[in-house]
Amino acid sequence: MEIRLLEKGYKNNEQFYKDFLEDQLQVKEEYFSNEVVHLDKTPDFPIYIAQGSETERKELFLEAIRILTDYYLDTDRDIHLNELFWHSLLVTKREYLLENYPKINEGINHFNNIVLKKFDWENYIYKCVLGAQYINDFVTDPEQRERYYSLLVDNLDIYNYIIKYEIFRNDRFLINILDIIDELDLSKILKSKIKNRDDLGKDERVGRRVIFEFNKSYPVIMSPMLEKDELKPIFLKYLSYYYDSTEVLEEV
Amino acid sequence: MIYKKDANFPYPVLTNTSNSYASSQFILDVELHENVHHYQFDFNYEIDSEFMNNLLKNRQAIPILIIQSKDNKFFKLDLSQRSIKLLKSRISISSRTSIQLHIQSIEDISFRRNEDLSIFYEKFKDEIVVPKHSILGYSNVVMFEGSTTKPLELFEKKLNPDLKSAIKIELSHETIVIQYRNEEFQFNNLPKSNTLNNPYVYTGMHMALQRFIVNNGEDNESVDLLEIDPPANPLDLKLYHLMRKKMVEELSIDTIDEVIYAISDRMIEKYTSVVKGLISSGN
Repeated sequence: MEIRLLEKGYKNNEQFYKDFLEDQLQVKEEYFSNEVVHLDKTPDFPIYIAQGSETERKELFLEAIRILTDYYLDTDRDIHLNELFWHSLLVTKREYLLENYPKINEGINHFNNIVLKKFDWENYIYKCVLGAQYINDFVTDPEQRERYYSLLVDNLDIYNYIIKYEIFRNDRFLINILDIIDELDLSKILKSKIKNRDDLGKDERVGRRVIFEFNKSYPVIMSPMLEKDELKPIFLKYLSYYYDSTEVLEEV
Repeated sequence: MIYKKDANFPYPVLTNTSNSYASSQFILDVELHENVHHYQFDFNYEIDSEFMNNLLKNRQAIPILIIQSKDNKFFKLDLSQRSIKLLKSRISISSRTSIQLHIQSIEDISFRRNEDLSIFYEKFKDEIVVPKHSILGYSNVVMFEGSTTKPLELFEKKLNPDLKSAIKIELSHETIVIQYRNEEFQFNNLPKSNTLNNPYVYTGMHMALQRFIVNNGEDNESVDLLEIDPPANPLDLKLYHLMRKKMVEELSIDTIDEVIYAISDRMIEKYTSVVKGLISSGN
């Protein structure tokens, strides 16, 4: 299958949006450059996972991670980490998008937010691509992979924070953190709001703050390069700044 | 994370720009090679602080290579390691890629015997102990701004109605020229006309490599690319650079097709998929 890459100027373009709705994009040559990307298959997958219950969203995330892993991640990284590629691919999936994200019909803002979303840590495809890549490169056993996918989705808040910081956007660090969370059953604690700390912002979460401490201490502590056993005591130390973790510490 | 500017550290760090060390340097040098599936980073580094080199030798500190493109990759290096190979599906170099070498302590390090520090630390270096997991030094940054190898730039297309054949492929001084008697043969009216011309490109490449062997090989049979000097002929020189960049070491009459596969970007696969696409779309 061949994806034609879009020419600049498609963003925030009312006519482009209208042509998408009316299924006219593919016949208008002016929207496309001469560049193409080849993929064997380009199956549909959830691209915008903001609605529904937590359980429903988890299923959608898992589906996206699995499909991306099986069909998209063997392309050169220049392709699957390229916003232009994803936008070019998504506009070929008109029917799927309109069926699954009917809000796209309601206005160009929704179209921009769902289909032409900026490709960074807030973009669902970006999150899933990086997560899938980090996990698959590190873990070969299929069951273990599923376990990590699940851990990733259960700890999205801290995962988002990890990929937001450039220094932590790294496979080893992510796997280590997920392992530590799993071993010590910290998921709930890390997601919880910080209490009795008026000096911090209003919606401060424990997990984000722990990552913030890692960021602050780098490179005096080169945390992204550490082994899990080296990372664990430091993680618990930072956790103790924001959470009374005596119970957790006793288990170690 | 890569340090492009000086940063403040609570202890002396070896860099090429700070004054913490008297005259020591930490120079990193990287060469990039690629083939169809991989990028290979060959590097060399030189640290002229005896103190630091001893830490490395005694495994009290380790070198870590950092490759930063869209994200960070860290490689803990063996002392003798001078090469890193990465799948193209796992690193992007089309946007800016920066590479730096860091030295990390793996135990607490006393600077008492560090004779390489600047005079400023003379009086209190006995008291300096750098904790484990800390950065001890970082090199200069080596940058790559995209891959430069575009095999198609070797080619020129020309229309020549007087041609006695449908197409003719010639080798000029600097390029491989594909001449067409009729514009239709270029498929210009079809989408992906460039890709549809790939079989001609293939033929041209074949011809050029044959001549390369004749021009540069001793026996008209094969060329050892590691042995020869860069050719003087401009077209041969382009091909030479392309092959070396793609890690081709030898070219012979028998291996021309393999070499074309290595230096071209899946030319025939792309051609096939375009033709299939045209058939299935009813064109």
